[in-house]
Amino acid sequence: MILYLLCLVLFSLGIYCTVRKRNIIKIIVGIMILEYSVNLFFALIAYKENGRAPIYSETQDILNMVDPLPHALVLTAIVIGLATTALLVAIAIKIYEKYGTFDITKIRELRG
Amino acid sequence: MNKQEQQGMTIIVKTVTRLTFGLILLYGAYIVLHGHVSPGGGFAGGVIIALAFINLMLAFGRDVTLKKISKGSTSFFESVGAILFFGIALLGFIGGCFFLNILPKGAPFRLFSAGIIPFCNIAIMLKVGAGIFAIFLALVLLETEAKERK
Repeated sequence: MILYLLCLVLFSLGIYCTVRKRNIIKIIVGIMILEYSVNLFFALIAYKENGRAPIYSETQDILNMVDPLPHALVLTAIVIGLATTALLVAIAIKIYEKYGTFDITKIRELRG
Repeated sequence: MNKQEQQGMTIIVKTVTRLTFGLILLYGAYIVLHGHVSPGGGFAGGVIIALAFINLMLAFGRDVTLKKISKGSTSFFESVGAILFFGIALLGFIGGCFFLNILPKGAPFRLFSAGIIPFCNIAIMLKVGAGIFAIFLALVLLETEAKERK
């Protein structure tokens, strides 16, 4: 149970970083922490005491495996997280090129 | 010393990158080729291979890397990966349905087994490796373009 709570703490840290910080790069890092906390939560749900990897092999019996479904879900989530992070970084570079700053409070003009 | 050699990081980083570049590529190929018998597969191996080239670009700078693998060939390999994967899936129609494993399966836990799965892994490796390197390349070129405009 304490592990789930620590996962929640990490999630809250990500939300704090996303909402409170002013630097765009720090906001992106906050979003990444959010993603990874959710991924960690899924991996923790799948965990089983003394379980083994859900892979068929010659030497071991198919007994007491951890749940493979959240693992497949997390793999997809990691790929999508990579794509969104790349998009965010590209937008951040464009913003820096236009305004010369990463501070969101100084980006005031909305001209196209 | 001409201008091109001054680009990039210090000589320590360059030497280490030159020594490890081939090893990282080899490890990526190992992960891809053993994707159907052990953990790993096309995606993980493709990411490792893309990271080898990203490492090269970080250490040596943009121009040296673009001489090794250009923008056009990156986009070419990405497209080839997608078409190869789709082609393998279409080949299943020979046996009757989409994504059918038409090749002989072989004995389990051997390198040459599991029918079309290793070929799917190689196609995914091309797509993912070229794709991730293309993302990094696009970010680098975006920044250089911005510097030139100023």
